[in-house]
Amino acid sequence: MRLHPFTALTAAACTAVATTAAASWQLSFAVSIISSVLAVRAGVAGRVLSAAAVTVGPLCLSLVVLHGLFFPEGRTVLAEWGPARVTAEGLQFALDLASRTSACVLVLLLFSFTVSVPDLVSALAASRIPPQFGFVLASTLTLLPAIVGSLDRIRQAQEARGLLLRGSLLAHLGALRLQMVPLVQGLIEDAGIRGQALEARGFGAPGPHTSYRHVDDPPGQQIFRALALVLAAAAVALRLLASWPTASL
Amino acid sequence: MTATTRTALRARINEFTYHGGTAAALRDVGLEIEGGSLTAILGGSGSGKSTLGKLLGGWLRAGHSGTLRGSLELGGTRLDFDGSAADPRINPAEWFRRAAFVPQEAAAMLSTVRSSVAEELAFGLENRATPRQEMLRAVDRTAAVTGLSGLLDRDPATLSGGELRRLAVGCAVITEPEVLVLDEPLASLDPAGTAQVTDVIRNLVAGGSAVVVLSQAVDGLALQARQWIVLDDGTATAAGPPGKITESAELEASGVRLPGSAVSALASTSPGPERVLGKGPAILELLGVGFSYPVASRRNGPATANEVQRTNVLRDLDFSLRPGEIVRIVGPNGAGKSTLLRLFNGLLRPSSGDVRVGGNSIARTPVGRVAASVGLLFQHPRDQLFERTALREVCFGLRPLFGPGGATVRALAALDEVGLSNAAQVHPAELSASQQRLLALATVLAREPAVLALDEPTVGLDRHGVERLSHAVKEAAERGAGVVLVTNDAGYGRTAADRNLEFDAGRLREL
Amino acid sequence: MSSSPLTLSEAGRTASRNRRILEILGAAAIAGTYVFLVLTQPADIANGPVSFSALVALGGFLLGAVLLIVAVLPALPTSTLVLVPVALVLNVVLGQIMGSSGLPFYFDAIGTVLIAVLAGPAAGAATGALSSIVWSFFNPTVLPFAAGSALIGFLAGLAARGGLFRRFYLAPVAGFITGIFAGVVSAPIAAFVFGGTSGVGTGAIVSAFRAMGDTLMAAITKQALISDPMDKAIVFAIAALLAYALPRRTTFQFPFVRRFRVLAGKAPATPAA
Repeated sequence: MRLHPFTALTAAACTAVATTAAASWQLSFAVSIISSVLAVRAGVAGRVLSAAAVTVGPLCLSLVVLHGLFFPEGRTVLAEWGPARVTAEGLQFALDLASRTSACVLVLLLFSFTVSVPDLVSALAASRIPPQFGFVLASTLTLLPAIVGSLDRIRQAQEARGLLLRGSLLAHLGALRLQMVPLVQGLIEDAGIRGQALEARGFGAPGPHTSYRHVDDPPGQQIFRALALVLAAAAVALRLLASWPTASL
Repeated sequence: MTATTRTALRARINEFTYHGGTAAALRDVGLEIEGGSLTAILGGSGSGKSTLGKLLGGWLRAGHSGTLRGSLELGGTRLDFDGSAADPRINPAEWFRRAAFVPQEAAAMLSTVRSSVAEELAFGLENRATPRQEMLRAVDRTAAVTGLSGLLDRDPATLSGGELRRLAVGCAVITEPEVLVLDEPLASLDPAGTAQVTDVIRNLVAGGSAVVVLSQAVDGLALQARQWIVLDDGTATAAGPPGKITESAELEASGVRLPGSAVSALASTSPGPERVLGKGPAILELLGVGFSYPVASRRNGPATANEVQRTNVLRDLDFSLRPGEIVRIVGPNGAGKSTLLRLFNGLLRPSSGDVRVGGNSIARTPVGRVAASVGLLFQHPRDQLFERTALREVCFGLRPLFGPGGATVRALAALDEVGLSNAAQVHPAELSASQQRLLALATVLAREPAVLALDEPTVGLDRHGVERLSHAVKEAAERGAGVVLVTNDAGYGRTAADRNLEFDAGRLREL
Repeated sequence: MSSSPLTLSEAGRTASRNRRILEILGAAAIAGTYVFLVLTQPADIANGPVSFSALVALGGFLLGAVLLIVAVLPALPTSTLVLVPVALVLNVVLGQIMGSSGLPFYFDAIGTVLIAVLAGPAAGAATGALSSIVWSFFNPTVLPFAAGSALIGFLAGLAARGGLFRRFYLAPVAGFITGIFAGVVSAPIAAFVFGGTSGVGTGAIVSAFRAMGDTLMAAITKQALISDPMDKAIVFAIAALLAYALPRRTTFQFPFVRRFRVLAGKAPATPAA
């Protein structure tokens, strides 16, 4: 069965919210593992895991160092070097937050890398979300690979003019400016032309729109989405009630 | 609509000035387009053709994009503009539905948010809330008209130049406009693409559409037109049937490239007494060079078919260039012409064989250093330009070579050589396409490289531009530089070159 | 057939009041969330109470960002809308290029600031928020910072309107002040949602304050007050340089630039003769 983009999005977002609300590293780990298994089965494990590693890796490392060594609230001191104190509470906190963030990032990336962007865009267009939102999403995804190509072209063209890309940091920054100027100029000029074309083709005009691409939305999935939202809301409500701050400052 | 007149579009432009523009882009242009006719608006680079086309086709709007004084009349509705805030505001979507513009850069027409040709075609209909069944029919009909029926499921990003052009035309004609304005519809198309686009246009005219083509060359399409309008420096200098205008002084002065005549001005490029052709050692040598692109494995998204197949572009290729020699290289798109040029200065490194400049292998020399001897000019001048004025652009990097005083002198001389002395203080991005290419050429010429390699130098140049180019190339050769022209432009290249080479299975063959 | 008009009537002002209300609600949601978080910050940080604060921060800030987008987006002219993907791509690409320096800065708002300078505060706010939301497609950790990005875009637009981009030396000053606000607003996100910062340089600064016994929120706020103003001062300066490099015809196509003479400083600087 093919998932409607909104079903996948709802599932991912609700899982992330519920994981945050649950505040349990065991659940976070479970979510991470399930997401990874699903990523493997969808054949996107490499991309999901590497994207997650790039975004969460430095954060996790930073959390372990920060809270592992400096956690003034910690009471159970395990080791001490000068101002640095390794505490059990600090390590526990680092573990909790690192696992929670990893779980949320993994499940959301699983959605990003498995969803069909054209389906998502037309689902967005079919919903009451302004069509401008779908445009920004899809246009960004088209522009990104293109910009990598044009940066490369600019670098080649400038090297062919005798620019030597080496030397001090200052020289490097200078060369960077020379690359950024044609890049930005080209992008803004192209955007201006694209804006004219889009307006001429009726984009941005008020009024109803239709969609050429048809995305199936079976009733079963609609019920699932409603259920997932209710469950996530319940998880949030429980957490808010459980941890409502009794003593204000 | 009553049929008292068949005039589809009438325009009277007294003056149009872009916001922030220092001078009017258009002055005193009047035209009248009839249904079922083909009109050619001819003009050199920077003549205001594209501005006029965009005004006629709903892309530029009075008040929004600039100040317009004059009137536009479409299908019997006349709108008058006097440049004040009380002017009527054109509804771009409705105007374009009835009078559509297709830009030269076909990709600019695309929404960038649709993943197949069919959806791209339907984009304009979606925004008009056309029922889905009707859209399906319109897409099929338009695809048949534009020859896209076999490509409906393709990703627009993977289309060839000709296919893209036809898709852009399809996006415009899907709403069945009465008037269609096409900007340089044949520019940089190979012969097959040219024939297909010409066919599409002929069918549209036969179907009753009023078609306007904007062109800086009297090409096959222009020759079929019923009416010509010559645009020069923003003003219509001549209008009427082609027969009346072909020999006119206005057309001659406009910089429009004419079939044949442009060539005659350049024919004298054969080795003159000053040229020291064939003497001295080769300044550039390729010895048994092989090159293959690594099999594409990109991180984001699948590689395009083009990339996967372009392995093993060059095989055991030999080439040598002597001082003062002009060599022209031809070959179909994708044969490896641009690859070859990039090997000259080390932007690409051969997988086998050796590249020698001035007798020394460049295998371990950085590109920026090779650039002192090998000047390379790319197809997109915009990528090469980054300064705030044309003069600063040419001066860039000259100081270490010629000293502060010498640099400016040299830069001014280079600007003069390409005919841009008057534009020394102009922002490069505000020059016309033709002038931008010449400016990029000036940046290369100012360094006086021993080897000058130009990639499709005539694309986008009007006749004045081609004359400047040919003059500069000749001067460089007389100075003793070796010149390589990679071009499929039969008009210019053949007359200019001492030797003609053709790509054949990864090698070069004498023609 | 001839009924569809070729011209537009004057734009109705009926919807604009609703939009203004949404904008105010969005700003109120962001400000209210911040105040609530500061007042109720858990004295004893452990996973449970932090999770509460995280949910409040996420909910309140995202709600604010979404309200702002809903208010601004439909009214955004297409010529500005097409710049949003450009801003986003510039944020990412230029941020990555500059960020490779290892300094405790982010440089991830160059595009947003540039668009704000060209198109105004509303467009800047929408660009900031949208770019965070869309970029979270690849990097979900930027999603919670949407409100902070919106604030940066908004303040950059205000600075441009006030003429601070007419002189090059004023742009970093505007950036510095923007950085103070943006850093303070984003601190609860870093503290409660992520428990820290992901950069090496920023992490070291937070560690130093923690070692002195600060609460996490206080340590991160102080770190933000050290990093963000400098960061935004540099970002504003880069954006100004890029805006100055654009040809007049490009910048003047933006009504905001024409109306408020945003870049007027550069015209006399170029020698005419």
